Amino acid sequence: MPTTGNSPDLSALERPPQVLNNRGPLWVTDAVCSIVEGKTPLWWYAAITVSGGFAAAGLACILYMIVTGVGVWGSDSPAFWAWDITNFIFWVSMAHAGSFISAVLFLTRQKWSLSVSRSAEAMTVFAIICAGVYPAIHIGRVWFVWFLFPVPNNYGMWPNFSSPLLWDVFAVSSYLTVSSLFWFAGMIPDLAVLRDRATTKIRKFCYGIAALGWLGTARQWRHYESMYVLLAGLTSVLVVTVTTIVASDCATSVVPGWHATIFPFYFMVGAVYSGSATVLTLLIPLRALYPQLKDLITPAQLEKVAMLLLMMASCVGYVYVYELFCAWYSGNGFERGAFWERFHGTAAWYAVTCLTINLTVPQLFWFKAVRRCLPLVFALAILCNVGMWFERFMIVTTSLLHDFLPSSWGNFHPSIVDILTATGTLGIFFTLYLLFIRFVPVMSMNELKAALPGAQPELGEGH
Amino acid sequence: MKRILPHPPRDAKPRLWRTLEEREDSPAFRESLGREFPHGAAGRDGGEDGLSRRDFVRLMGAAAALAGGLTGCRRPEAHLVPFAKSAEWTIPGKFLYYASSMPSPVGAVPLIVTTSDGRPTKLEGNPLHPVSNGSTDAFAQASLLDLYDPNRSKEIRHDSVTVDRAALDSLLAGIRSSAAGNGGEGLAILVGRDHSPTINRLHADLARQFPKMLWIADEAISLRDAEAAYTEAMGAGFKPIHDFGKADVVLALGSDFLNPSASGLGYSGDFIKRRQPSGTMNRLYAVENHFSLTGGMADHRLRVRASEIGDFTAALAGVIGGKTGNTPLKTLASAFPAGSETFDQAWRWINGVADDLIASRGRSIVIAGPQQPAAVHLLALGINDALGNLGETVLGARTVGNPGPSLSGLCDAIKAGAVKTLLILGNNPVYTAPPALDFPNLLASVPETLHLGLFEDETSKVCHWHVPGAHYLERWGDARTFDGTVCPVQPVILPLWNGISAVEILAQLSGEKVDGPSAVRATFGGFSRDNSEEAWQSFLRNGFAPGTAWPLSKPAFNQAAALTALQAVKPRGSGDGDFELVFLRSSSVDDGRFANNSWLQETPDFVTKLTWDNAALISPADARMLGVQDGDFVKITAGSRFLEIPVLIAPGHADRSVSIALGYGRKGVSHVMEHVGFDAYPLRDSTLCFRNSVGVVRSPRTPYSFARTQEHQNMEGRDIAREGTLGQFRKQPSFASDMDGELPDPVSIYPNPPLRGDLQWGMSVDLNSCIGCNACLLACQAENNIPVVGKDQIRRGRDMAWIRIDRWFASADHREENLEMLPMAVMCQQCENAPCEAVCPANATVHSEEGLNLMAYNRCIGTRYCANNCPWKVRRFNWFDYNERPLDELYFGPLAPKGMADSLKMSKNPNVTVRMRGVMEKCTFCIQRIEEAKIGRSVAAGASDVEKTPLPAFKTACQQACPSESIVFGNISDPGSAVSKAKADARTYSSLKYLNTKPRVTYMARIRNPNPAMPGADCVGAANRREGHAADHS
Repeated sequence: MPTTGNSPDLSALERPPQVLNNRGPLWVTDAVCSIVEGKTPLWWYAAITVSGGFAAAGLACILYMIVTGVGVWGSDSPAFWAWDITNFIFWVSMAHAGSFISAVLFLTRQKWSLSVSRSAEAMTVFAIICAGVYPAIHIGRVWFVWFLFPVPNNYGMWPNFSSPLLWDVFAVSSYLTVSSLFWFAGMIPDLAVLRDRATTKIRKFCYGIAALGWLGTARQWRHYESMYVLLAGLTSVLVVTVTTIVASDCATSVVPGWHATIFPFYFMVGAVYSGSATVLTLLIPLRALYPQLKDLITPAQLEKVAMLLLMMASCVGYVYVYELFCAWYSGNGFERGAFWERFHGTAAWYAVTCLTINLTVPQLFWFKAVRRCLPLVFALAILCNVGMWFERFMIVTTSLLHDFLPSSWGNFHPSIVDILTATGTLGIFFTLYLLFIRFVPVMSMNELKAALPGAQPELGEGH
Repeated sequence: MKRILPHPPRDAKPRLWRTLEEREDSPAFRESLGREFPHGAAGRDGGEDGLSRRDFVRLMGAAAALAGGLTGCRRPEAHLVPFAKSAEWTIPGKFLYYASSMPSPVGAVPLIVTTSDGRPTKLEGNPLHPVSNGSTDAFAQASLLDLYDPNRSKEIRHDSVTVDRAALDSLLAGIRSSAAGNGGEGLAILVGRDHSPTINRLHADLARQFPKMLWIADEAISLRDAEAAYTEAMGAGFKPIHDFGKADVVLALGSDFLNPSASGLGYSGDFIKRRQPSGTMNRLYAVENHFSLTGGMADHRLRVRASEIGDFTAALAGVIGGKTGNTPLKTLASAFPAGSETFDQAWRWINGVADDLIASRGRSIVIAGPQQPAAVHLLALGINDALGNLGETVLGARTVGNPGPSLSGLCDAIKAGAVKTLLILGNNPVYTAPPALDFPNLLASVPETLHLGLFEDETSKVCHWHVPGAHYLERWGDARTFDGTVCPVQPVILPLWNGISAVEILAQLSGEKVDGPSAVRATFGGFSRDNSEEAWQSFLRNGFAPGTAWPLSKPAFNQAAALTALQAVKPRGSGDGDFELVFLRSSSVDDGRFANNSWLQETPDFVTKLTWDNAALISPADARMLGVQDGDFVKITAGSRFLEIPVLIAPGHADRSVSIALGYGRKGVSHVMEHVGFDAYPLRDSTLCFRNSVGVVRSPRTPYSFARTQEHQNMEGRDIAREGTLGQFRKQPSFASDMDGELPDPVSIYPNPPLRGDLQWGMSVDLNSCIGCNACLLACQAENNIPVVGKDQIRRGRDMAWIRIDRWFASADHREENLEMLPMAVMCQQCENAPCEAVCPANATVHSEEGLNLMAYNRCIGTRYCANNCPWKVRRFNWFDYNERPLDELYFGPLAPKGMADSLKMSKNPNVTVRMRGVMEKCTFCIQRIEEAKIGRSVAAGASDVEKTPLPAFKTACQQACPSESIVFGNISDPGSAVSKAKADARTYSSLKYLNTKPRVTYMARIRNPNPAMPGADCVGAANRREGHAADHS
């Protein structure tokens, strides 16, 4: 920091504006609403056809799996869990970043997250939906999935409250509920704007219903703000607890490679890492496809997301090294064997791919030039998510492949149903996201406008 | 079909009567009483009241029984009693047991057949019979499935046209009448060698009536070379029987005598009794080309090509002859062609064995494999003679005599045009005959041919007539165990598909009228000392006739004849660079007879762990030389024939030697045996187990994917199966549990509910006596209704066996020479602190107060978390509806036909749930047997204290079948129980103890008894040595 004399030059500390080009509140409203109100672009139809096609194929595979048996997947003994739980953890982890960005950064008053938070929340909700598919369908007898819920019955039989899978049921369902509420609550004032600007009756009716009678009175704002803070607080807590519980699926077991106390932290940082990558993957194309958003989604904000990604990726890298160190330091032959075998044999390429990507690709974000080059950021973010998928697979399945008795060691080969189900959830995710872009304001107009210079004169400039 | 129940005679006119006729007691009335269904009952006008209530109920009961409700209730008694009338010896839901036996060329297996409502559902060894002592081999367990096999042939066919029994009867009558005319000229009968006294009697009878008839008794895997040697050296009809109970030192020359399926259960029990480290432990040397069960058990094992075992034996005989100054033995040894210089490297080995054998004179055994050439048997007998073992450990059994002409004799007769009518009763020579005999074409040239068999197989396709054979559980018969004791073969069910037995056909030919057991009853007087009805009944009830074993004596050894025979042996082919090809009796399909038995096909081979296939087994060195890996094809050229077959690298295999199991690669018989393995029979040129000068080259075909149940053979330095030497054990008896080192005090942060039951179940598996013979696997499969999943599913690692045998290879010095094999039976360990229970979200797997880890199938939703968390990976998941869908249409889901073949339904144990898709299953410690015993105890206790009443004796299925009694199960809260005593043994350890799961299954370490004078002695019993890793890293 250069200093001149006694008075330091504070210009370097000045935060970049959240909205570029001195845009006013009306422009913000027009820019965001035009996406919903304008003509549906052709690329949107093309994109939803592709993603909807994948989603349909995935749903067909799930139906086939349910009527035929879990055996249509490649899962086997010892890999009783493979792509199913890999994808579950992949999606549920990705969801956490959305909540983290919107709720935690909201509570810590990080204004740079305003433009990305709505998308991040949507990503959370859609990712939980994708995640929730797997635990529901991966079981052998889907029609008895209700055994997982504590339904009072005349046998006096309850689920096993000591099983982490049961904790998952509660964790994921509360997470879905709270994050959907949080997402929807944030949209209410914006939906009211759409209602008020509506030109057709249907539009007015639908947005009117969705806006829940929002009038924008001071009284409503007062209640709204306190509710929103409460929900943000609740969501922030869930970000930590849900990852911890998902991590417990592994950590509470005896399987070498799963049984480690670092897992909650491991999953937490991995979650924010993959979620940040997804936010970048979603927003960079959005910004390119809707040029009016370029002033709202600023390179500086995206750079912040990339920096968050870099920090979390470094934590993840630390855990990789820590795990290997602990396996060696433990002196436990099974633990050492699990990590040794992870990098040997036919399944080694999963671990090698995971480590190669996650230890190198995010480190490129140390360079400002890389962070500022959005096409490159986009490509690297996709790579990061690929790396994270491999990490989930490495944790879940390659650990299972080499446990205690070498006689039980085996291999895993995905079947076409595995692959189509996985691409199917991707299809579901993108279909929901495309619908979200088209019908809901993609960013929080009310918060953005509140962050415009001079919007809140009582707080002075810079807030 | 119905019993006539006589009414008691009445002295005077009744005081009470229902009708005037009854009061009159006229003869007509008496007759009508005697008839259960009065003539025309259904149609009679019935007077005023029509059918009486009693008649109506009676008719309805009979109709219901006939209409299908109880059509599965088939029992062999001449009077079939519908269960509506409750026969007095049956209690619904309770098993009935019959003594019977499974005939086999190597010796019958004495059995107790469990029947449930008239269906045999489980076979168990006959505990009264000394050969079985309650145990069986794997084949006997699985033979139950053959009975219910829906692919069995069901109709009599004449030139592919279905005909009725009358046509067969007239054929047999025609054969009989023409044979009676010409003395049986042109009539030939080919039978197996099941050692049935009744078949022998009928043979004698036929031979008397038709002196010109040709009778051939032969098997695909024939023992004729050995028999020729025995005849030369010991006299006609003699065979050696070994007393392993007396032997301190045993040398096995290419012999798998410990395999119960290869030795008719004969030897494993006695051998294991002498294997106890607490007593005077025996020592076993094995010389073999591939790892057999015997080689796996051996203290010292030498890899030798099968064709060089003769050279080895000659070298050994020379050394023993020299050391003992026994000139005749030296002469014998030197008479064997080709010098002993081949064994320069093994000289220390030979000397060590020789010294040990000499030191145990009269208490040692040299045993040669049944398919070794006659020369090896002669030399082995010579060594036994020189060591004074004859009459001590090696006894001569006087069997029924000369086996008669072999299959080649039949071929010669056909070629000479001397066979006009050929009856093939049971064999399948079209598939098994060596190609040089050209048997299929010869058979087609015989004008009248008949084949009797369980299946319409290769032979029946060539024959004019095919007759469905009766399974041994459907017919009367008798059979001899390996020591000659006669056992009855009792039908326990009427033939499911009108099968006919060989006895019936032969009796029909000889003009004997067969009615149920009559043919066997007629034979009974011939072999039993007591021909009374009581003796017959006790024969049937006890399952054997005491005192019918072949008489044992000190065998003679005819030195001169042996010498002459040895001098006649031609030198071995000198193609040293070439491979030898060794033919193995398959551990799964025997000689091919069990090829349609999916239980056996899915049972992994003892050593290779290969299912649903055979392979060319080669040594790792040969694999490197040929540049092949598991699954790569090789082309094996033997003479003018070749076979392309994938290789499987077999650690411990001899170099320049290829072993292939026989009995695979059958085509066009049933879908079960399609695409299963490769047929090695066409490469055979003799009845020996090997042939020389075979070319092996790599073939460019796409590699084959094997279905193996264990891919990784190396313990990776983990002390899973533990072993030590006898010296180590004596110095430090608890060496096995000491391998755990210092474990911290177990801490459980989650206290489990106390185990309050008065019965606490536990099991102990003695690795020292476990041979690894698969009998427990098949017993478990039959007892617990375990489904078959097929080759494709096994490839995907989805086998369902509740008990498996992990086979470990270990070599303390990384050298192939010192490789050891360690089998270890692994079933659910019934952990007291079970990791599977904690993670099940549905509470489907819970603990009983008796310490059992229970599976509630109805509650299981199939998350598979329990299986992930099971350190032993003993939980099995129903990935598909294996019971309800065809195995080749599993992926078709609801489009595949649903349902199990009716006959297979009958094979299921009614006390065990058949599991549906999507649920987890695992070993239950045979909870159905536990509960049955507990119910029995409650009944016995009556009003008295149940807990003080002794529990009826029972065993788990695996324990029951085990021929070496290595599995002990029982109540561990009773310090006097066998299992408590076993667990108190110093060798006992828990596997994966550091996990603190407190398994209820404990293991007893294996002890080896090395001879310090042998090369590599320091590597024996050292599988757990820290710096040691197995040589094989696959």
